Amino acid sequence: MTDTQETVRSSSVGRLLPIVLAITVVLALFAWLVLPRLRPHQFNGTVLQSAMPAPDFTLTSADGPVSLSDYRGKLVVLYFGYTFCPDVCPTTLSDVNKALAQLGNKAEDVQMIMVSVDPARDDPAKLAEYVQFFNPTFIGVTGTDDEVRSAATPFGIWYEAHAEEGASGYLVDHVATLNVIDREGHLKLVIGPGTGADAIAADLEYMLR
Amino acid sequence: MKRITTHWALAGLAILMATSTVSCGGDAGLEISDAWGRPSPSVATTGAFFVTITNNGAEDDALIGATSPACGAAELHESSMDDQGAMTMQPVAGGRIAVPAGETAVLEQGGLHVMCINKLEEFTEGARLDLTLQFEKAGDITLQVEIREP
Repeated sequence: MTDTQETVRSSSVGRLLPIVLAITVVLALFAWLVLPRLRPHQFNGTVLQSAMPAPDFTLTSADGPVSLSDYRGKLVVLYFGYTFCPDVCPTTLSDVNKALAQLGNKAEDVQMIMVSVDPARDDPAKLAEYVQFFNPTFIGVTGTDDEVRSAATPFGIWYEAHAEEGASGYLVDHVATLNVIDREGHLKLVIGPGTGADAIAADLEYMLR
Repeated sequence: MKRITTHWALAGLAILMATSTVSCGGDAGLEISDAWGRPSPSVATTGAFFVTITNNGAEDDALIGATSPACGAAELHESSMDDQGAMTMQPVAGGRIAVPAGETAVLEQGGLHVMCINKLEEFTEGARLDLTLQFEKAGDITLQVEIREP
């Protein structure tokens, strides 16, 4: 009598168990896949609402002239730096490369452009070799002092060389932000130095959605 | 059998500890670890070395210079952000990085670093470059810097 009851109970538990497990798995998948998409994206950079498209510029790369407007339809990550810079510039370029790797195929819709704030030391060939060390799709551009200054100022990029007693000769202070221009050509996002690859990737991925 | 195993484990641990840090003998008690530099393209004139220095001794010390056969010149520099949001890089104030007794000085990305000017060797991933750190009290300590991604 007792044996029969035990058998009945355990067999009904045995039948329910897979169903309970299945429901648990579905709920966990829902929480993992769907809930994060319902929450609005928290940008790691600073979002700008630009009424006008970003001012265009044309500077020189190793493969000829490059204008910002050439990349309408893609996200442009615009950075002002210089090859003599040993710390912040390589860290930033490497982080952007890692961020693009996280985006997979979508990285094809992102163009990284580094403008040299040290045109005296960075010629187009040197710049190309420099940026392509970090990622073969990166573009490096430069120009005359006036051309570079005119390209930089509308983005709020200030830079200035300061003389150095040591072996450097001079170093260049520069605003080291990543400036993200959206597919329509508007400056949309400014990402500060040291933000890190994961955070950059999250913002770019959201802008590419 | 158990005792032998313990001995081997202790010996292994000792070897690990000896190889993971460069300990300087004598009174200084400086322990230098995590010496690394970022891979950089051949055309880049400069590179940076990062290192962690712990002063286990009783006496204050300071890093006052560096030399490396991989660099035309090596200088102690600091990257920082000014109040306008611009990154600036300067030789460290007073030409020294203090390492007080019982404290740790960390040279890291976006901060203090040994700037390698006029690179003489390739900073390719996996390379090991000699670096001599010059301390006020402890004198010269030579170590190897590993070139790798952070």
